[in-house]
Amino acid sequence: MALVEVIAVSKEYQSGEEIIRPLDGVNLTIGEGEFVSLMGASGSGKSTLLNLVAGIDQVTSGRIEIAGTDITQLSRGKLADWRAAHVGYIFQTHNLIPVLTAYENVELPLMLLPMSAAERRNRVGIALAAVDLTNRADHYPRQMSGGQEQRVGIARAIVANPTIVVADEPTGSLDDNTTEQILTLLQRVNRELGMTLLMVTHDTDAASRATRQLRLERSELYENGTRLAPRALRTA
Amino acid sequence: MFRRLLPWDYGVRNLFRRPSRSALTLGGLSIVVLLVLVVVGFIRGLEASLAATGNANVMLVYAISSGSDIENSAVPGRTPALLSASVAGVRQRHGVKYVSPELYLGTRMSIADGQQEGLGLVRGVTTTAPLVRQQVQIVEGNWPGPGEVLVGRLTHSKLGFEREALAVGQSLEFDGRKWTVSGVFAAGGAAYESEVWCPLADLQTTLKRQDLSLVAVAMETLDAAADVDLFCRERIDLELKAVSEVGYYADLQKHYKPVRMLGWVVVCLVAGSGVFAGLNTMYGAVVGRIRELATLQAIGYRRRAILLTLIQEATLLSCGGALVACALGLLFINGTAIRFTMGAFMLRVDSVGIAIACTTAIVLGVVGALPPAAKAMRLPVVEAIKAI
Repeated sequence: MALVEVIAVSKEYQSGEEIIRPLDGVNLTIGEGEFVSLMGASGSGKSTLLNLVAGIDQVTSGRIEIAGTDITQLSRGKLADWRAAHVGYIFQTHNLIPVLTAYENVELPLMLLPMSAAERRNRVGIALAAVDLTNRADHYPRQMSGGQEQRVGIARAIVANPTIVVADEPTGSLDDNTTEQILTLLQRVNRELGMTLLMVTHDTDAASRATRQLRLERSELYENGTRLAPRALRTA
Repeated sequence: MFRRLLPWDYGVRNLFRRPSRSALTLGGLSIVVLLVLVVVGFIRGLEASLAATGNANVMLVYAISSGSDIENSAVPGRTPALLSASVAGVRQRHGVKYVSPELYLGTRMSIADGQQEGLGLVRGVTTTAPLVRQQVQIVEGNWPGPGEVLVGRLTHSKLGFEREALAVGQSLEFDGRKWTVSGVFAAGGAAYESEVWCPLADLQTTLKRQDLSLVAVAMETLDAAADVDLFCRERIDLELKAVSEVGYYADLQKHYKPVRMLGWVVVCLVAGSGVFAGLNTMYGAVVGRIRELATLQAIGYRRRAILLTLIQEATLLSCGGALVACALGLLFINGTAIRFTMGAFMLRVDSVGIAIACTTAIVLGVVGALPPAAKAMRLPVVEAIKAI
């Protein structure tokens, strides 16, 4: 069953006099529970596509439907509410809030959802246990290693049980050993928690951990070397 | 809605993120609010001094030729007796009419054999003076006898002397005569508090004058006060005029209107400079957190929630500044004596001043936070999230 449907999406922006169009009529379908990696050369538009799916960027044309919601039709405020409930974002540089502890960083997305303090405590506890950082709950980001920070970032992304988790080069700033730990953790998130993941990476080893490996070249998506069939833009 | 706001702790802890910058900003804002407090205290003290001096039931009778300057007034010595006999409704008790003949002048005064001197105000009075000026209370010593003076509790400020120089038993010299301080009086903040009172007869003898500067009459009712005015109009031979004490000091207040206006302008200028200080700090705080603010947006926090947090941070800091300023104001500014032509008054750090200072601080916080926060919020999330 398709969870994410990217339909004829184009994105363009102006850089000085020049109009850049990193995505031009891109189509993509991601099923529920899939772990999709997205590779491509620098500037190919893979991060742009990820940001569009995550709802932090706006399409120039086309449609993105996630769990039946056309997010391109949502206002900025509604889109923020939608992100809170449906998207977990894992950043390359962790992006933890420095003045909050690991526990508070993980709790942050839950503050946006209607739930009791006890439920929040329970969920944060589970998320921190999932990334094996229960004993670091009271530590601030400056007191943790890069790998630990990224694990807190992953806990923050999964704690609200989002519809989709997006990861923008989650191992880009980590050493090999830590990279391995993080990729294993992402696999566990996908397999054991059944979460749908879309991961952008430059690393072919990292990409190989995904259940589907996609490559974006000149606005065309390829899967296992085969170009994905373009789809016509359906009218709503 | 409240569930969608950022945790309160987040804003508070951000203040301690760069402690030195926060401390400097707190210091700057404290100085700004303190300056506001001083200027408001000045205006309030001046207003209070002139307002506290007037009593609606007291009429001042003085020479029509002196304009509004009682120092230049000269009325016949028989005026108090004529007033008492001719005007009905003069307040009296145990047969004593509340009519106070007074001789009032500004003169150079000195202490310690002329080593220290200043321009002071002296009022020759009789024992009826405290009956008419009912705010007057002797707080130390006794009513002056021959060769003695009663000094107000702000007289030393008006003269520029130390308080101890005019303590009971000390001597004061003016108009070629040495006077001994017999007591100190308070008058509830009225302008008399900076005057020197001495027996009228003594002063007349010293000055070789037989006339008076004015006669102050306390009336039973406001209607009766009009009779004094009528008396002055009828007795054109005496060339007198009568004004209510309230009217007299209200007229004086008009002369100080430019000073008050200037004071408010200073308040606005000082507050304006505070806004720039706040803006500078908040720009610095926000620029260093562009990526963090974008992360909060990516997580799902609305711009409004983030904006409120930034305003919370700035307002907390400015309110902290207000607290420090009010504490310093109450400890060191409140009650400080200020000299002016009419005498002296005390800076007042009262509830109105504190309310104005706190409001200024809140406005500084909000106005200082809005432009940098709005600038940060305008940046697209995808760009801001890559900011260094």
